[in-house]
Amino acid sequence: MTSRRLRLAGVLARRGAQGVGVAVVVSVLCFLLVLRLPGDAAYRIAAGRYGYDLVDQEAAAAVRAELGLDRSAWHRLGDWLIDLAQLDFGTSLVTSRPVAEEVGYYLLGTLQLAAVALAFAVVIGAGAGVLAARRPSGPVDRLTTAWVASVRAVPPFLLGLLLVVVFSAQLELLPAVGHGTPASLVLPAATLGLGLSGLFARVTRDAVVEVRSSEYVQFARTKGLAERWVLLRHVVRNAAVLVVPYLGVQAVVLIEGVVVVESLFSWQGLGHALVHAVFWRDVPVLQATALVLALLIVAVNTAVDLVVLWLDPRPRGSGVSA
Amino acid sequence: MTSPLLATAADTATGGRRRPLARRTAIAGLGVLVAFALVGPLVLADPAAQDLDRYLQGPTLLEPLGRDEYGRSVVARVAHATRLSLLLASACVATALLLGTAAGIASAWFGGWVDAVLRAVSEAFVALPALLVVLLVSALASGGSLWALYLGLALAQWVEYFRVVRARSALVMGSAAVEASRLLELGPGHIVRRHLLPDLRPVLVTLASLGMVTSILAMSTLGFVKVGLQPPRAELGLMITEAFPFYDVAPWLSIAPIAVLFVLTICFLTLRDSEETA
Amino acid sequence: MTDPNAADTLVVHRAVVRTPTTVLVDVRDITVRAGRPLTIVGESGSGKSVLAHALMGTLPPELAAEGSMSIGRSRFDLAERAGRRSLWGRQVALLPQEPALALDPTMRVRDQVAEGAPGWRPRETAALKRADDRLERLGLEGAGRAFPHTLSGGMAQRVAYAAATIGGADILLVDEPSKGLDRESLDRLAVMLAAHVERGGLLVTITHDLGLARRLGGDVVVMQDAAVVESGPAEEVLTRPVHPYAKRLLAAEPSKWSAPWTRDNLRADEAAEPLVTAHRVSKAYTGKPLFQDLSVEIRPRERWAVVGPSGVGKTTLGNALLRLTDIDAGWVRHSGTTRGGRIQKLYQDPGLAFPRRVPLESSVRDVMRRHRVDERHVRSLLDEMGLPFAILRRRPGQVSGGELQRIAIARAMLPRPVVLFADEATSRLDPVSQATTMDLLMRQVTGDGCALLLVTHDLDLAEAVGARQIRLGADEEASL
Repeated sequence: MTSRRLRLAGVLARRGAQGVGVAVVVSVLCFLLVLRLPGDAAYRIAAGRYGYDLVDQEAAAAVRAELGLDRSAWHRLGDWLIDLAQLDFGTSLVTSRPVAEEVGYYLLGTLQLAAVALAFAVVIGAGAGVLAARRPSGPVDRLTTAWVASVRAVPPFLLGLLLVVVFSAQLELLPAVGHGTPASLVLPAATLGLGLSGLFARVTRDAVVEVRSSEYVQFARTKGLAERWVLLRHVVRNAAVLVVPYLGVQAVVLIEGVVVVESLFSWQGLGHALVHAVFWRDVPVLQATALVLALLIVAVNTAVDLVVLWLDPRPRGSGVSA
Repeated sequence: MTSPLLATAADTATGGRRRPLARRTAIAGLGVLVAFALVGPLVLADPAAQDLDRYLQGPTLLEPLGRDEYGRSVVARVAHATRLSLLLASACVATALLLGTAAGIASAWFGGWVDAVLRAVSEAFVALPALLVVLLVSALASGGSLWALYLGLALAQWVEYFRVVRARSALVMGSAAVEASRLLELGPGHIVRRHLLPDLRPVLVTLASLGMVTSILAMSTLGFVKVGLQPPRAELGLMITEAFPFYDVAPWLSIAPIAVLFVLTICFLTLRDSEETA
Repeated sequence: MTDPNAADTLVVHRAVVRTPTTVLVDVRDITVRAGRPLTIVGESGSGKSVLAHALMGTLPPELAAEGSMSIGRSRFDLAERAGRRSLWGRQVALLPQEPALALDPTMRVRDQVAEGAPGWRPRETAALKRADDRLERLGLEGAGRAFPHTLSGGMAQRVAYAAATIGGADILLVDEPSKGLDRESLDRLAVMLAAHVERGGLLVTITHDLGLARRLGGDVVVMQDAAVVESGPAEEVLTRPVHPYAKRLLAAEPSKWSAPWTRDNLRADEAAEPLVTAHRVSKAYTGKPLFQDLSVEIRPRERWAVVGPSGVGKTTLGNALLRLTDIDAGWVRHSGTTRGGRIQKLYQDPGLAFPRRVPLESSVRDVMRRHRVDERHVRSLLDEMGLPFAILRRRPGQVSGGELQRIAIARAMLPRPVVLFADEATSRLDPVSQATTMDLLMRQVTGDGCALLLVTHDLDLAEAVGARQIRLGADEEASL
């Protein structure tokens, strides 16, 4: 199947180019940030590093020199991109530790959270979607529709607050903040997963309804195949062809959710680190976390493309007219 | 998809009567909120006026939503916050829509390198969550600036319009209908007026409603993570965050901004859904 | 066969299918016997396909069926959906309308055929061997490992036939099998169906193709507006019909057309300057050549037809001649007289040829303005088409396909074209409206002295128009 290999190469080339593009956009934005750093930025960074009480003009001057605020902008943009190409993210302006090391630690936290949340969303969402598809406009379907709408209308931070109020403050079942224990993962993952599950339910429902009413499923039935096999052999795979690409779209929502939920629950992940970096103007950490988060999206999309390639033998966008 | 013979029969059977009602309710709901946001700030008390004697005062006839921890009028603050959310979101959506639609049509119409360049740029933006772009841009500004928020949200959203408009316009431009118009030599004005715009309008309405939801929620989320607008400005997300510590002693503080946020998004989402089925 | 359940007759005592507002089918007393095929003909929308699904028990849930039928000695209530599922594949099989859509796009062909075999279990080799066997007997050696999207229309249909009949059903319902098939595939289809009858099977074929009905023989039922209007042995109904609709249906076959334009086909003036000149044009699609080194000259008043099975590039050639598509080699030139919108095109689906969200009137008025046509001319043109001017107030989706195609003809005639390209313009219409539409089209073309370029898969149609033919894709079946 050389055509499949060609399409594989196409996917990898396209996603690779996207990754590079993302890296350029993120680092140019970060560079602009450094250029535009207001006068007291060095002072503020120094304060972040040593604490407001201990900071003095000398420390601020040291920071200013470290940022190289005296050289020309183009020169610095060049250096900036070269450093990036060598995967040299520098050291954190706040903790003075190598950024790569910090980001590695935070990445692990984010991956844990995202994986559990995604599994949660897929199980709940796909389950509800399949149930709703059994009887379109039946009671389960209507319930799912209402669920989808209300989950969409509640931003993750609000959902998180509600869960904290109910499970942590009122029922005292789960910790509201913290990192490391399985119990502390439950609320953030549930917040993130619940938010995603609504959209999943909707897409799964539509896909299953569409596939079940397709002519090939109807034909599989009239061939004499038992319903169980019709579902397993025809509905699941074809519905997956429709649902899986949606995971790629969801990656953006997932990452946005990660940023919010990690801040809310003080979960040690990239989003938490990013918000802190924005607050303290810790540019190297800011750049690295934003970059890794964006590349995570590209990675999820690459995986999605590969799965679709494996599921569906048809070439994209083909067709010659009569 | 049902087979063509059965499709005609199926058409008559579906088509519930529920949609128009939902749509009218959504429009009415938005109308009330817009009126509240526009008129409220003119007639209500100063949202910044503190009155520490009335710390966390409960709802009264004069102050239907009570007072917050600084004794400020909650109803006035909610009105200002709603106006801010609606205005800023509209500005972001309008900018993203104009920019994205123009770029999308240009891409589909000219093809070639115009298309290649615009597509490359959009590919990079697609992988950037709106929140990330806004975070980066607001980090650029000195914190809490409306401009940064506006620029970030518009910048994060134009891609959506670009991609949809480009795909849709490419379909329209390649359609038999446009080919026929070209053979009839009806000119580009005809193609834009009769083919492109009528076809794009419903999608744009859908995207714009969704864009309003995204912008409003993103603003409140940024307020919540403390990198968006700064206190003491009245903003829905900030208000929710500030009210959180008092949720058991003064629940009216949280309920009002949450309700406004919820009703706004539900109305826009309903509008989007009814447009899709229409 | 000694099976006690063996069905040697299928009797439809009464079958009624309705939507909440209309009756789609209302028939009674139709009998099918083993060895004698039954063919149901009629216009689209007459309810013949709905009847097949009602018998099978596969109507969409919005449609309510009532009545009963008997297979052998067992009687079935048509309102009861679940009761017939055990018959599927084993006693009753359905060959669906669009075989290409009836095959799962993500599964290899042999697995799809094998799973219909009695006693099939996943990954069981016996069923797979049987599937390979059947595919081979239908001339599809080696196609088992292919995915459906790589098959031609004719091949997809044979695969669907193999999958439908591998379960050993005696009763075979065939729904509109000839759609979009070229002559060779049609021949194979007729042979396949005849073989089923010879093996002692029962065959019910739904078709609008009278040629197929004639070849299958047996009995014919003519349906119009949900009801049977005539039935009897094929040789009688298809030669001496009694009911007026049946008569019209027969007269609508292209080979029976007798309008004046079928005779006075003026030979073109060989000396006249060609309107369209194509010199050694070639085009390939994904490595497969569609046409090569083809040269054509279209002169005023000439009639040309591009014929061949679906999917071989007939439309692409037509578009190349109109310079609507790029070609790989050669050149196409249009003479000066064609300038100013005087080459026009009609489309297979007229619904796609008008901007779908604006009323027809605004599209037509734009044409009137551009080509300085006054409203009286448009009115008289529509009048000749048998359409009121008021119909233009509607949107494209609100008029029928036949009406819309007539509006499209009127629109195409407004710039006084010298070349008209009709791309399968009547292939989606049922026979009676195809005949009417073709007649209207040819009157305009002959009246205006316009050259005609016809793309069609229907050889009879090309011959009836008396066109010079370009044949494409004779050996496409060979390549996989």
